[in-house]
Amino acid sequence: MPVRVVDNTQIPQVSGVNSGYTLSPCTLLSVGQAFAGTQNVSSIQKEEAWRVNVRIQGCDLDHGYLCGTMEALNVPLAETPVVTFWEGEIVDNKNYTFFTGKWDAKPDNDVRHWSKFQSFSPLQNQVEADGGKSLDLSNYPYIFMRWKELYFVNVGKDCGLTIAGFYYVCFSCSDGSINGFYYDPNSRLAICCPISSINVGDDPYSCEGTTSSHGTAQSSTCC
Amino acid sequence: MPSSAACKRPENLVEGLSSKDPGTRLKALRDLKNQIIGNRTKKLRYVKLGAVPLVSEMLESGSESVVLVQAIATLGSFGCGLDAGVEAIVKSGALPYLFSTLANPDEKVVEAGARSLRMIFQSKLTPKYNILEDKEMDFLFSLLNSENETVTELAASIIMHSCETTEEQKALCGSGVLDKLALLLEGSSNQRDASLDSLASVVKNNREVVSKFVGLHNGKVLSSVNGLTKDRSPRTRLLACSLLIALGRACPSQLQDIESKADLVRILVELVEEPGRAGDEAPRALGDLIEKSEEVQKLACSVNAVEKLCKFLHKGSIQAKPLAGILHALAELCSNLEDNRRLFLSLQGLPLVAEMLNHESVGVRIAACICIRNISRSVKNLSDGLTDKSIVIPLIHLFDDPSIEVQVAALGATSNILVHFTTHKSIVFECGGVKQLVKLSSSMVSELRVNAVSALRNLMFQADKMCKENIMLELTISTLASLICDPEPFVQEHALVLLRNLVNGNVDCINYVFAEDGLIINAVTRQVWNASSVGICIQGIYVLANIAAGDEFHKEEVMRILFPLPEDGRNQSILIKFLQDSSSPKLRVATLWCIINLSHLDSPGAVDRIARIRGAGITCAIKIMVNDPCLDPKVLGPSLGAIGDNWPK
Repeated sequence: MPVRVVDNTQIPQVSGVNSGYTLSPCTLLSVGQAFAGTQNVSSIQKEEAWRVNVRIQGCDLDHGYLCGTMEALNVPLAETPVVTFWEGEIVDNKNYTFFTGKWDAKPDNDVRHWSKFQSFSPLQNQVEADGGKSLDLSNYPYIFMRWKELYFVNVGKDCGLTIAGFYYVCFSCSDGSINGFYYDPNSRLAICCPISSINVGDDPYSCEGTTSSHGTAQSSTCC
Repeated sequence: MPSSAACKRPENLVEGLSSKDPGTRLKALRDLKNQIIGNRTKKLRYVKLGAVPLVSEMLESGSESVVLVQAIATLGSFGCGLDAGVEAIVKSGALPYLFSTLANPDEKVVEAGARSLRMIFQSKLTPKYNILEDKEMDFLFSLLNSENETVTELAASIIMHSCETTEEQKALCGSGVLDKLALLLEGSSNQRDASLDSLASVVKNNREVVSKFVGLHNGKVLSSVNGLTKDRSPRTRLLACSLLIALGRACPSQLQDIESKADLVRILVELVEEPGRAGDEAPRALGDLIEKSEEVQKLACSVNAVEKLCKFLHKGSIQAKPLAGILHALAELCSNLEDNRRLFLSLQGLPLVAEMLNHESVGVRIAACICIRNISRSVKNLSDGLTDKSIVIPLIHLFDDPSIEVQVAALGATSNILVHFTTHKSIVFECGGVKQLVKLSSSMVSELRVNAVSALRNLMFQADKMCKENIMLELTISTLASLICDPEPFVQEHALVLLRNLVNGNVDCINYVFAEDGLIINAVTRQVWNASSVGICIQGIYVLANIAAGDEFHKEEVMRILFPLPEDGRNQSILIKFLQDSSSPKLRVATLWCIINLSHLDSPGAVDRIARIRGAGITCAIKIMVNDPCLDPKVLGPSLGAIGDNWPK
């Protein structure tokens, strides 16, 4: 899905040695917020679009942490919607950088995926130069994240789906839209969840979702 | 011999204590002392048989030194590590007589008196010594100046026991107690330990006294305390660490550098494995050190604190006080760091902590609740099946605990567990938890009300319609309305969030707000217009935003509240005031959401509402938000401004 880039976007730069900053709070990305959209799964054999609901269950900007559930509604051959629990790493240059450094993702994989987001383009040169460490992302209107599904909530591991990969995600603070691309280098002729399946390679599977601008909010707090 | 055997029977021995024959009395006293030393069970038995008052009487009647020494030592033994013994001693009126023995010409009597009193003053049940009375302060200083080591140790113990208030700390400090205690640091190992212990009481949470102590003898005393953290005696090391922690807590600049903290963490984690008192008390000190500091929690983790403490939990049969200390340290280790929580769970610590919820000691029950509360801050752990009936049900039972502190802690833990988004809310219903939460939300104790309403708000979070209806069945509209106007601001805020969660995403649930002659909406209106804090105002506006996401009637009711008619006597510009509130970006954002929902073009009355919103001059205020210093309102404002540009002119 095309992402609207805010006019006059400046490259956010910090002076001196940057240890990153906690990102500014964003109500659209807070606990309890729900998102609905589609997940387009494309492979040589077929094109599928799964309806997807995402809900944020936990958010700790100080630690660059986010978690939630993802529900895929019309997964072929699945009797019920498939719900997975995921944890997110927020790229803030304090806790996490643009470089994944794990899950078999190398810097060139990272840059290739991040650059699929238009909102990444003002940052790309800097990320390629120094990993983006000198960027101050604390007030950037887009939040970049990696979401990694950890387990199935309502089906067993033998459900025929896999959650081995992870998503590169870009969230727009202004309209609450989420774009994501799935990456699983080891998945060949495999099923992945909630995105399906075949010839995954590192082909992009986009996961789009938006909040309604006519929204309500709920809140919980841990003490 | 038959007679001797008979005398050793507890009942006969107690009878011997009141014999008219001095020889029989002394023999019974000696036998009693020998039997109870180090034997808790026998101490308890003799306390129940009424031995303590009989021994106390022997102090009163000008007894010979040999009897006095035996009686004093016996009372000291009863008072050592047994609250029931201390209670009996205090009740028997022996304390003044024990103090008078310190003036006895016989040095043996003085020594015995000081030893016994020192043991008795280790119990919390011993009455406080009145430091603020001049006469008592003079007596205390006469003890501190004594040449008898045990008497000076006693003086330090009395200070440690009795110095609690800022006033007492100031009085002691003004009388020169810091110098006297500093002198004791150079004395015997017992004097040193007693001094370190009482210094920690004198400086506790008192920045002024801390700065005096730190400057004492140009910092030499502080250096010597630092040196004592490496002493050969584990107890001295522990007490020196505890004093440094107390200094750091009262005045953070005293314990700033990471190396000092790392040293303390390392020493305390090593001490955890020491046998005896040092090992027993080290976890509590460690918990105090790492409290609220993620940086120090990481340090503790790096020296395997979680593993070592869990190992002790698995060993079992730990006394209540050290057990509470271990749980306190584990709770702090798991308070911020997800890695520590994971480690704790992987070491199977949680089932053991769950068992502690039924422990006989209040301190242990509280510490177990806090530990569970901190572990359940992790949504991942909650969703991964952290909580099941084995934890939730004992927690709910603790809502009826005789101790209010336990109730408060149990509510705190339950509140976090109830954030869980899929299951376990039903468990609370099944075992009558909601009824109890509602009952506690009307408690006279404000802490209980705060935590009970907080638990209810989290229960309402992401609940389905049936769950919401069941909660409201118990809670009732009138109770919720009165909670919104509770005298305690935190209760008001939690109650508004509870309502915000109730009306989220369900038009039917919004109707609760207008039922019973609008009890709830009237309460919300009062809070939005007259809130005592920004936090309350934000939640009130979010309630209105969620109501404004309902049907046409709901939107119009929100308009009526936010744009009252002039004859209502309210300020027309409340939304502008909130949008321009520079103190709170959250309030600006909440207000934007409210306007977004009111002006949504899909609803039939939108055109009229938009006109009224524009008429109130709000469009300009929104457009200005493009320059908002905070990202959230800055990006939301222009979105709405763009809608505004398309509004019918």
